Amino acid sequence: MRNLLVRLAGHLVRALVMIWVVATFTFFLIRLMPGDPVAAQYEKLVQQGMSPDAARNATRLTYGFLPTGSGWDQYVHYLWRLLHFDFGRSTQTLGVNASAEVLTGAKWTIGLVLAGILISFALGTVLGVIAAIRRSSGVGDALTITGSLFHAIPQFVMALVLITVFTVIWPVFPTDGNVDILVDPGFNGPYVASLVSHASLPALAYALSMFGSYLLTMRSSVISVLGDDFVLAAELRGLTRTMRLRYIARNALLPLFTIFALTIGFMFGGAVFIEKAFNYPGMGITLINSIGHRDYSTMNATFLLITAAVIVANIVADLLYTAIDPRVRRGGEAVA
Amino acid sequence: MRRTAVAATALALCATLAATSCSSSSSSSKGGGTFTAILTQIDSKAPINPYNQSTNSFRGYNAMMLGWSKNTATDPNKFYPAIAKSWELSPDGTKLTVHIQPNAKWSDGKPVTGDDLKLSAAVAYAEGGSAFAAIPGTAGGTVDVKVIDDKTVEFDQNATKPLNTWFANVMTMYVLPAHVWSAQVPSDIWDTIHTALTGSAADAKTAQDTITALGKKLIGWGPDKDVSAGPFTLTRVTTSEALLTKNKNFYDADKIAPSQVVIKNYQDNSTIVNLLLKGEIDGSVYVAVSQSQLDKILAVKGNQVVSGASPVQASLVFNESKKPFDNVHVRRGLAYLIDRAQVTKVGESSSGKASPYPAGLTAAQIQGWGVSTSGLNAYSVDTAKAATEFQQAGLKQAGGKWTLPDGKPFTVPIQTTSDFNDWTSGASNVAAQLQAAGVDAKVTASSDYATYLADLAAGKFTVSWWLTALGPSAYNIYQRLYGAANGWTLGTGGGVAHSAAGQSGNWMGEAESADVSGLGTVNPGELTNQLSQVPPDQQKQIVAKLAAFTNDQVPAIAMWDYVNQNFVNTNRFTGFPPNDADVLRQPQGVWMQLGYIKAKAK
Repeated sequence: MRNLLVRLAGHLVRALVMIWVVATFTFFLIRLMPGDPVAAQYEKLVQQGMSPDAARNATRLTYGFLPTGSGWDQYVHYLWRLLHFDFGRSTQTLGVNASAEVLTGAKWTIGLVLAGILISFALGTVLGVIAAIRRSSGVGDALTITGSLFHAIPQFVMALVLITVFTVIWPVFPTDGNVDILVDPGFNGPYVASLVSHASLPALAYALSMFGSYLLTMRSSVISVLGDDFVLAAELRGLTRTMRLRYIARNALLPLFTIFALTIGFMFGGAVFIEKAFNYPGMGITLINSIGHRDYSTMNATFLLITAAVIVANIVADLLYTAIDPRVRRGGEAVA
Repeated sequence: MRRTAVAATALALCATLAATSCSSSSSSSKGGGTFTAILTQIDSKAPINPYNQSTNSFRGYNAMMLGWSKNTATDPNKFYPAIAKSWELSPDGTKLTVHIQPNAKWSDGKPVTGDDLKLSAAVAYAEGGSAFAAIPGTAGGTVDVKVIDDKTVEFDQNATKPLNTWFANVMTMYVLPAHVWSAQVPSDIWDTIHTALTGSAADAKTAQDTITALGKKLIGWGPDKDVSAGPFTLTRVTTSEALLTKNKNFYDADKIAPSQVVIKNYQDNSTIVNLLLKGEIDGSVYVAVSQSQLDKILAVKGNQVVSGASPVQASLVFNESKKPFDNVHVRRGLAYLIDRAQVTKVGESSSGKASPYPAGLTAAQIQGWGVSTSGLNAYSVDTAKAATEFQQAGLKQAGGKWTLPDGKPFTVPIQTTSDFNDWTSGASNVAAQLQAAGVDAKVTASSDYATYLADLAAGKFTVSWWLTALGPSAYNIYQRLYGAANGWTLGTGGGVAHSAAGQSGNWMGEAESADVSGLGTVNPGELTNQLSQVPPDQQKQIVAKLAAFTNDQVPAIAMWDYVNQNFVNTNRFTGFPPNDADVLRQPQGVWMQLGYIKAKAK
């Protein structure tokens, strides 16, 4: 227990340092971006038919939400506010908290990412075991090729293929958005069904673009485990095939947890492409819009949330690793 | 047990799929009651506040103004009634008396009164409406708002410095429910406004700061529940759609056919095109599409396009602080080398028409203002005339290539942005045409529009795209060429000052005045400023003079006039406005208020 607490404390310290590094890096990187949010807003208003004078007055308000002072002052002020979980005000939606903007999108992205991870993990591990056990057959070869192929297809290409097939050629899924607005919100069948139908293709895009890596890793891991002594011992003890498979799968799963943690970061990054393709209003779309408007506060908040999510996922994966691998739990001592 | 779990899972999957298919089909069979539109970007966190840039208050649907501008090319003071049923403007244009629709009510049943207008005007001061500047002596500023009775309100303009744009600026004021907003506005707000306008310098400054702080507070605020005097109220909003329900208390509710309106998020053109291809959109704002996309959209059952003149033009503008583009002969020579019809065909084939004259005006504006085209140069392609102009500028031609007087290649760097395909395609075509004529032209694209605008304002570009002729008012039109971007700044008290190239936002770098044959010495900034102060008959003469000046000096080469192209679908609704109707330049909610859009008989 003490070991676990020490381990957790170490993780937390490292996480905080990492968050500070990322916060600092993104703070300055964002401000180095070319582009003037006020000029962009002024032009937008004039093009919408507002007179130049009125547009000038309206954009004047934006200055009130733009950070002022020297870069260092802004940085110190930013860190101080960050300590109070205040990410500042959005310049895109004037006066609204940037954290509210990001969290609104985050809940949808987290849903998609979790669904995508679960589907791809389940699909990848099961098919990986089959591909390993039947590695000398056509089924094994077909699964390996399929895994390699899907692993090589970028997420946005996968999204476009799914859109073309399931919304144009065979239009069984909705084109965009997260829910049909005509359905009354609440915990009722039509609303849940609408949520599921809108999330299906984006989640599938995540899953299909990720399951290949799980499949290939699981396959090689299972092949490696198959040669271990304990498998031979189990076979000699006369254990059933199902029992032996369970032994093999549990041991072969260990390397997948490393990939699992990395995948979470990859999938959050992929939200930009997948949500854009499906016009799914998650954090990716929020980030794209905030970049377009040079909304510094919202950009900072989005990057930080993605960073925090990846760090937390890594910690969780590491702790899970401790739980499932006795060698780690015992600090590397040999298991008697 | 395991078998039961498997069966339950299978059942759940089947139910989900069945419900999914129901959900998909329901969206395609919404019937005539729900009008689906694309209007603007939607943000579910945005307040129900028309002043916020990202708002859930949609103009014409649940956000109302005093009147709806007809956006006519020559008279920006023509309006359709909205909350104001009628109005009288005093002959000197300084006193506006507004009569509120007698049946106007808010969606919660309370009547719309003069107090609502007065509170709305106070909010407009805080949010910086151009007719409501809390700065003493502002030209074209409102100095008082008087409630005459429940249904009559008087607005007074600064009589010492009146502007002819004031009336339109007041009429486009958003009308807000006082019983909802008054809790956010200090009860002594009008005392503060009067102090800001007429108090001593120190008191006025304090009052202005108070009003500015109020503006910052109000801009992020909106009521939890929509209270609208428009034809619809906001029911709910997601991050990609907004649902509005018909307001039965709307003063002209009988004219409103849809029982609901779904406004979809304007994310990008490709999303809209996909929705149009599925026939799901009943009315869409202008969308730039290629000719092949247009053909596919119109092939969908019920899809139609209604179009009219748009007061917007795409031009290539010169930064005259960079040599040799400060030389008018160079600019004219380039105008003679570019076939604008060809550029338009490549850049904006479906919703653009080649601009007939580089004069700072669209074809419709030239016609509307009665500008004589006999005196305007069309700059039709003529390599001989181009050569003459280049030679007058000292350029030389050797081996089919034009060079500068010092023998270095004459290069035309054209800047565009990756955000706009029409600009990028158009720029490539211009470059190809110039290269064919022996001018070394190259195209560079900024990564996005925000970067483009920042670099443009910093004077980094030599030749770049710029939207011109942005009307409807003549003052607004020529502000694009002879406003801050070219060094002329209008002071709050009237009058105009000129900054040198590269200073105070002057990235075009034109000289303050120029001699034009037949016109003498012309200061276009002064003339533009006068456009905001003189009556229409005098504006006509100034517009003619500015058109001639622009045509002669060629600070920009107008490539194409945009066409205001609205996509509609007649499967569920009919009665859309005809082509060229002035109402096309307003959102579809306004079309409905004016009696357009009827449910299709089944």
